[in-house]
Amino acid sequence: MEAASVRAGATTERRRSKGVPERRLAVMMVAPSIILIAIVAVWPIIYAIWLSLHEYSVRVAGLSRWAGSFGLRNYSTALQSSDWHAALFHTLIFTVVSVTFELVIGLAMALAMHEAFRGQGVLRTVVLVPWAVLTVVTATMWRTMFVSPYGFINTITGAKTVWLGSEPQALIVIIIADVWKTSPFMALLILAGLQVIPGEIYEAAKVDGASTMQRFTKITLPLLMPAILVALIFRTLDALRIFDLPFVLTQGQNGTSTLSTISQETFATNRIYGLGSAMAVLTFIVVMIVSFSYIKFVGGNIRGLAEE
Amino acid sequence: MRGRFGLGAATIVSAALLVAACGGGGGGGGGGSSSSGGGSSSSSSGVTVTGAKVIDPNSLNSPPKGTIHFCTGKDTSGDAHQVVKDFNAKYAAQGYKVVLTEFPASADQQRSQFIQRQQAKSNDCDVFNSDVIWTAEFASQKWLYDLTPYVNKFRGKFIQAPLETDHYAGKYWGVPYASDAAFLFYRTDKTKTPPATWQAVYQQAAKQGGIVYQGAPYEGLTCDFLELGFAAGGQVLDSSGKKSAFNSPQNVKALELMVSGIKQGAAPKAVTTYMEPETDQAWTSGRYGFMRNWTYAYAADQTGDSKVKGKYKVAPLPSFQGGGKAGILGGHNSVISVFTKNPGLALKFADYKASPAWQKIALSKYSLAAVTSATYDDPAVKKAIPYAAELKQALTQAKARPVSPVYPQISQAIYKNVNDALAGRVSPADAIKKASQQIDAALSTF
Repeated sequence: MEAASVRAGATTERRRSKGVPERRLAVMMVAPSIILIAIVAVWPIIYAIWLSLHEYSVRVAGLSRWAGSFGLRNYSTALQSSDWHAALFHTLIFTVVSVTFELVIGLAMALAMHEAFRGQGVLRTVVLVPWAVLTVVTATMWRTMFVSPYGFINTITGAKTVWLGSEPQALIVIIIADVWKTSPFMALLILAGLQVIPGEIYEAAKVDGASTMQRFTKITLPLLMPAILVALIFRTLDALRIFDLPFVLTQGQNGTSTLSTISQETFATNRIYGLGSAMAVLTFIVVMIVSFSYIKFVGGNIRGLAEE
Repeated sequence: MRGRFGLGAATIVSAALLVAACGGGGGGGGGGSSSSGGGSSSSSSGVTVTGAKVIDPNSLNSPPKGTIHFCTGKDTSGDAHQVVKDFNAKYAAQGYKVVLTEFPASADQQRSQFIQRQQAKSNDCDVFNSDVIWTAEFASQKWLYDLTPYVNKFRGKFIQAPLETDHYAGKYWGVPYASDAAFLFYRTDKTKTPPATWQAVYQQAAKQGGIVYQGAPYEGLTCDFLELGFAAGGQVLDSSGKKSAFNSPQNVKALELMVSGIKQGAAPKAVTTYMEPETDQAWTSGRYGFMRNWTYAYAADQTGDSKVKGKYKVAPLPSFQGGGKAGILGGHNSVISVFTKNPGLALKFADYKASPAWQKIALSKYSLAAVTSATYDDPAVKKAIPYAAELKQALTQAKARPVSPVYPQISQAIYKNVNDALAGRVSPADAIKKASQQIDAALSTF
């Protein structure tokens, strides 16, 4: 009896001194961020999905109904729409081409910035300037340069191309503007990766007689992989929701409509909330699929590489 | 463990992107110019809006004392501040006050800001300076007072065309504040008298460097096209307002003229990318013989390093051979929110903005196209605004764009397909046909 109460007392005391307060403290400390994420991220997603399952009248105030086909009619409408197919196609082309160029240019920039030489600080600053410029400003700037016939580009090349009014030139302009703007970002992430590669490895390789090219392909690239993959994931997800450049440069016309411009047009301009939300959710799904594939097919290597 | 982290991270990242995709909604997509707008009386007879609150026109005489809020787009020219100041100076002694709320400069932002407030049933905006193309949408959502009794009482003082921009479902939903219409700008050193028809404009333009206008895929192109389409006798909606009447030989003819203009060099191919700023840029370079633009350009293109200073005049838009004259109305109406607590004072302010005294200031000092007919005959106005007579003529012959709650979609159907035709991707007939199908689809939106 006495022993039992002593044991119980000990348990209570242990719990009071360690378990409960610590766990509660943890919950309390995590709670604000969980609540914040719930408010700013989870709730809008649930709300968008809820909207996407309904139809809201644009002509009768307050009239709404459950969308047909088990609430999925907006999705079938979007998936069957040739405009949506075109937007998906443009978005994928844009993503693949721009991210590829950004990777190559960003890697080159990072390698240049990594070399120790006089003026390194200046170079790093200059390279980062395009990234610091607002995208809308970037877009307006490129628009001015490509405007026909008196824009800078046509003036120096003597071309008569109506860049922003032709397919596929308009998409090419958008890719150029995006590569110009975001290669520095890629470079920054890769530079961070370069700086954690220990110098001794290179010295050892040199002693072993490795050439510059060998050092790059056998040491730099493999050790840089985790950083490159992170940069690729960031840029790809960003590129998939491209909105501002086509919005300012071409209004989404001439083969430059994207998943985001078409969702925005449907939702905000035309106020077809159900269909617009369905398109936004589809964008979300496309982005999810791509991020899962990255993490599944290439992401696994990150840990492997890091452990090596 | 790593896998779970990856899944979680991907979810959060994607979630943030989704939020951005929806949040971008505020940005607006029509790309409408704030200087343009319109509506059509013929389109509204088959539609009804029931249960709207109706204004008492006599309530403006002695409304309860109080303060109301006037919402408008960013006051770049200064007229909004001035009208509020003048009103307050005049009526402060009687206990009336108006407070100005400025929205962003972008027309789409103004629209979404007002919509958000009305959806929340807020009385933030007792009076709103509404672009003429938004009236039907706001009215159908029951956000506006029905001002028909007021308009009927004072109909005589207004130019009739601008009134039609707020005529929807057989009722009037706003008090005209400032109108707008496009001019044909011509070079006095190349042309003595402006051509009488659009056909002649294009013929002459081919020899005089060309005509520039707004051919980019946005609201401006809808206006530019309908100016020719309406003049040729074309329509957008049939008389019931429920079906497209866009696929007509008249509209095809109008588009064929524009397309052949580009093909034959009477207009640069680049107009398919021009909005107002690029049009001004091209015009002030001095290489072109003609320009279609809104009234603001008259003063704007005389400034800076313009090469055409003092070398151009404006004329009301010409007629279409085999058709008549037309134009598209822009501008803003004062609309009164149903959520206002003082509709009498709101009407008093809207009425003040449309008073002859203020309209004279608006036109002569701020170059806003007055909505009251008598203003244009005032000698002081004629002196300040050399194109006053042409402007009155342009407004009188102009028409409203279709007044419909689904106007944004109708306009997209027009400008996207017309742009495709101008760029040579489809034939004019196919573009008109496809636009018409899309308009019908828009009209059947739930």
